[in-house]
Amino acid sequence: MYEELRSTTVHTPITLSEYGQIANRFPDALNWAGGTYLMSRPNFYPMDSNIEIIDLSGIEELQRITRTDRYIEIGSMVTAAQLLDTGRQILPPVLLGALTSIGSTIVRRQITVGGSLCIPDIRLSIPTALAVLDAMAEVRIYLANGKNVTRWIPVSRLYDKDGKFVPFEGKFLLTHIRIGLQYGAYQRFLITGNPMREGNFSVIIAFQAEKTAVALGKVQLCVTFPKKGFFISKEIIGQLSGINLPIAPKTIWTITGNLKGELRKTYPSLSSLQQERALRRFASILYDLNTLYLQS
Amino acid sequence: MNLDCTIDGKGLSLSVNSNKPLLLILTEDVGIKSLNSNCHGTHCGNCLVLVNDVVVLSCLMPAFRLKDATIQTFEGFSKTRQCRDIERAYQVSGNKPCPNCYASKTLLIESILQSLTGEHHAGREITMPGRIHNQIVGDTKQLDEDSITKELALNTCQCMDTGELLQIVEIALSYRRRKNVRRA
Repeated sequence: MYEELRSTTVHTPITLSEYGQIANRFPDALNWAGGTYLMSRPNFYPMDSNIEIIDLSGIEELQRITRTDRYIEIGSMVTAAQLLDTGRQILPPVLLGALTSIGSTIVRRQITVGGSLCIPDIRLSIPTALAVLDAMAEVRIYLANGKNVTRWIPVSRLYDKDGKFVPFEGKFLLTHIRIGLQYGAYQRFLITGNPMREGNFSVIIAFQAEKTAVALGKVQLCVTFPKKGFFISKEIIGQLSGINLPIAPKTIWTITGNLKGELRKTYPSLSSLQQERALRRFASILYDLNTLYLQS
Repeated sequence: MNLDCTIDGKGLSLSVNSNKPLLLILTEDVGIKSLNSNCHGTHCGNCLVLVNDVVVLSCLMPAFRLKDATIQTFEGFSKTRQCRDIERAYQVSGNKPCPNCYASKTLLIESILQSLTGEHHAGREITMPGRIHNQIVGDTKQLDEDSITKELALNTCQCMDTGELLQIVEIALSYRRRKNVRRA
């Protein structure tokens, strides 16, 4: 059917320096991690034959998981299945929740951590979990003059409020993700609907907080609407920080109301179903915190 | 690009575009009939095949990651002993998938059985196409209903309910374990 098409050139570097040389020669080449997002685009095949592909699966450095006393460093080509198999004992619960929420092992074997962070227009489970964990992403930027610079950027700053990936100047490669091991005891990851199949109705919420005496500290909250937004509200986080446990039902009602106002202001086109799902899930996290506190 | 691979036991050399999905290679270039996916990559689960003995969604597997791969479609898998375990489970339970999803649900059940029996760990090492390290697949050794239900949800065809499918997995698992014990 497509016999007359010229076959796309695929480059397969095995080291990062080899990748750098290819990236400098072909700045418009497409980085290929797991391919689950790229291949799920309706116009993926046949693709413009002038596009070059750089297959990252041969770079061993990107497939390592390293743990030190202070942090876990995950190579961007580590798959969700590998991370679950090798890191179940060391990973924070919120990230484990995000990984297991990716329905099937068959898909998990193919999704890579770096690939899921670099999707341009849809935000899924892994970026939401990494954002509340204050994870940092190592990004190598290959400049037009042939030089490259390395930057560590918080995962939460990789996206704008609409969940779109903020582009870098020049060709870039996300190489590692670093997660600190000083995370809070209260962690929740909730997902409603299937973000791939029903992106306009699904909601993802990740939450973490630390318990200091009887109050909450170091609160982090991220609400994701896969096709519409990546919402981190400093105001809501501020209201929850330092709050005494158990939280009174009236206070939960007030904070949920404030979240509703913020969501309406930031995303006027958000569907009422998505909004309601986000609010109910958020309230359930706060009630859950009360239960945990009263049980302890 | 020239793609040398084995499909259902036959060694083939195909001339295909490097980014052509395996699904299209199998349906257009090889003429496999059991694949009927039309989801454009939204994971409908109707295009499952075995690549190097690992179940994958063929719509998400590009040609350039298939060099020297051993591909088994349902046509090839249906002639194996493993498939007989699952078909016997269909007979015993009195339920079987509709013709549209029969092939993919059977391969999906096979994938669950592989991870439950740990066949990959004991028998041979598996390598996902295009990856350096061998991967340990599946962490479920127990018949954990929740995780199996999640796995089964990959196929979106509504012809059977989860309870029926779980029963089939349970019966097929007992056949498979009995067979493995006999072999040992």
